[in-house]
Amino acid sequence: MGFSEHFPALIVVVLFFTAFISPLLYRWARKLAAPAVIAALLAALAMVVVLLIQVQQFGIYYYHMGGWPPPWGIEFKADPLRLYILVVLISVSLWIFIYALRDLGHELKTRVIGWYYTLYSVLVGSMAGIALTNDLFNLFVLMEICAISACAIISIKEDRECLEASFKYLILSAMGTGCFLLGVVMLYMVTGYLNYSFLYQALVEAFDFYPLNIFTAAALFIVAFGTKAALFPLHVWLPDAHASAPSPSSAMLSGLVIKIYAFALFLMFYEVFPRVVLEAVPLSEIVLWLAALGAMFGSIYAMIQTDLKKMLAYSSIAQIAYIFMGIGLHHSLALVGGFYHIMVHAVTKAMLFMVAGVIIYSTGVRRIDQLTGIGKVLPVTMVAFTIGSASMVGIPGTGGLISKWYLALSALEIGRPIFVLVILASSLLNAIYYMPIVINAFMHQDEFKKEVKPVPGIMQLSMVVGMVFIIIFGFFSKPVVTLLEQAAALFF
Amino acid sequence: MEDQITRITSRLVVPFIQVYGIYIILHGHLSPGGSFSGGAIFGASLVLVALSFNLEAGSKQIPHNAASVLESGGALGYLITGLVAIALGGYYLSNKAAGFPMGEAGSLFSAGAIFIITLFVGIKVASTIATLFYYIIEGEK
Repeated sequence: MGFSEHFPALIVVVLFFTAFISPLLYRWARKLAAPAVIAALLAALAMVVVLLIQVQQFGIYYYHMGGWPPPWGIEFKADPLRLYILVVLISVSLWIFIYALRDLGHELKTRVIGWYYTLYSVLVGSMAGIALTNDLFNLFVLMEICAISACAIISIKEDRECLEASFKYLILSAMGTGCFLLGVVMLYMVTGYLNYSFLYQALVEAFDFYPLNIFTAAALFIVAFGTKAALFPLHVWLPDAHASAPSPSSAMLSGLVIKIYAFALFLMFYEVFPRVVLEAVPLSEIVLWLAALGAMFGSIYAMIQTDLKKMLAYSSIAQIAYIFMGIGLHHSLALVGGFYHIMVHAVTKAMLFMVAGVIIYSTGVRRIDQLTGIGKVLPVTMVAFTIGSASMVGIPGTGGLISKWYLALSALEIGRPIFVLVILASSLLNAIYYMPIVINAFMHQDEFKKEVKPVPGIMQLSMVVGMVFIIIFGFFSKPVVTLLEQAAALFF
Repeated sequence: MEDQITRITSRLVVPFIQVYGIYIILHGHLSPGGSFSGGAIFGASLVLVALSFNLEAGSKQIPHNAASVLESGGALGYLITGLVAIALGGYYLSNKAAGFPMGEAGSLFSAGAIFIITLFVGIKVASTIATLFYYIIEGEK
């Protein structure tokens, strides 16, 4: 494979490298700092694409850090599913970063922007690591890095609300990591392995002797990843954190960070715990019902919000529930739906937070009831909002329909139509809180009263890119769905 | 606050603390301790100077620019050591396999890449502790 055999490690390394070099660049060569981050993200994206092509040709590829073979060494795994997650992760974060170039200057003090670049690169790098790693302890370390940098990109705004929200997030997410570490200890105690593949083998045997340890570990994992991914009733930190953060951070947190933890839970369920464990206690069932409740309650909470960003944050709780539903339904079509939703929701929610950011940038309005008539003064922005809302509701022609379609299909396949009803009801609830904003923005007779600053070109362009992709996801879903079907087939 | 007794005591003690910190960093691959503990001890000596004299005297010991260069440099050094292993034909962070000189087991210059990495992490930790302390002090103003 030549040089490309090192790509799994280099993807993470190049991002961490940029993270540590950008404070220096920001101090002495300020013009180069942002291009360096963009270059690193582009390089990482290129490596992921090359790996994806190679994995499709030659099969799954393992990378051993330092040449130490597992179970002792740290192993990175490149399989189609992980690389798919990485493509979404890195391309969306590149897109958000380009948007952030203008927005950050408006929301942050100049002296901390260099630090923001550092935190941003560390965050993306740690998430890439979480997706790639095949080792529980390595996962733990990367989760810590991810949690700290995610808190820091909220608190960097330094106002009271942000500090409070990020402190709450820090405490709850530390509890999540604590639960995870305890679970890892339980598994290590009974098997002596930390590597996913070795654990999978060893747990089959260990399950006969130490079922309680393994159940405890599974329960702790659900709590840990549930807290971090804002699975309903563990979502309490999310609305404040995502609503008060600077808009690019909100886009990042709502669009990507919570999903990477949902993906980590998926890996635990499908790559670490063998079938016997999942059949002995209804773990998938628990996740499934929590997701169903989350899909309803997230939307209901969103309906009563008066702040635009808070509404979007609550909507994320409802949307992440679809991804958990995809994991919990335990069917290949459900996985396709869930994973398609990771991509669709990452783009859609990131774009909606960009829209919120643009509205705040150019008018200073955050309250939903003050948005009447705004469609006439910010047409591109509100068209973007409309398309984003349509995708959230799942209107044909947008990406949101495809994921809901596959989820509903799989619910029917396994003979549980009640979840089709949940999906339908939740979509209707989505429509109830998204559509009035659209209607008021365009069709209300009142004029928009506030002063309007012109929107910078790069922000407009970012939103246009988002719209285009949401529509592409709606009409040309075939290549991605085929990729996901192949990837899901490995688990069934 | 400036006090004659603390000032003279710390002036006496600081060199010993720093030597001890460096000793622990350099012996990271041989004895208990290592880069983190050693770096923390070294960083603590800088904090001690700042506390017993005043912030200006402490800042002179390790100015902000130098601190951030050392901080970034320590982490970058770690990453570059890993990359050098790839360049030498091993995997990322390979040690003996990539051909780092191993030396004689038990002697100071041994363990190849681990020795180098320990050094970088020690620098990183020491400068981070000093920087954190200065940021907290400045935040209070």
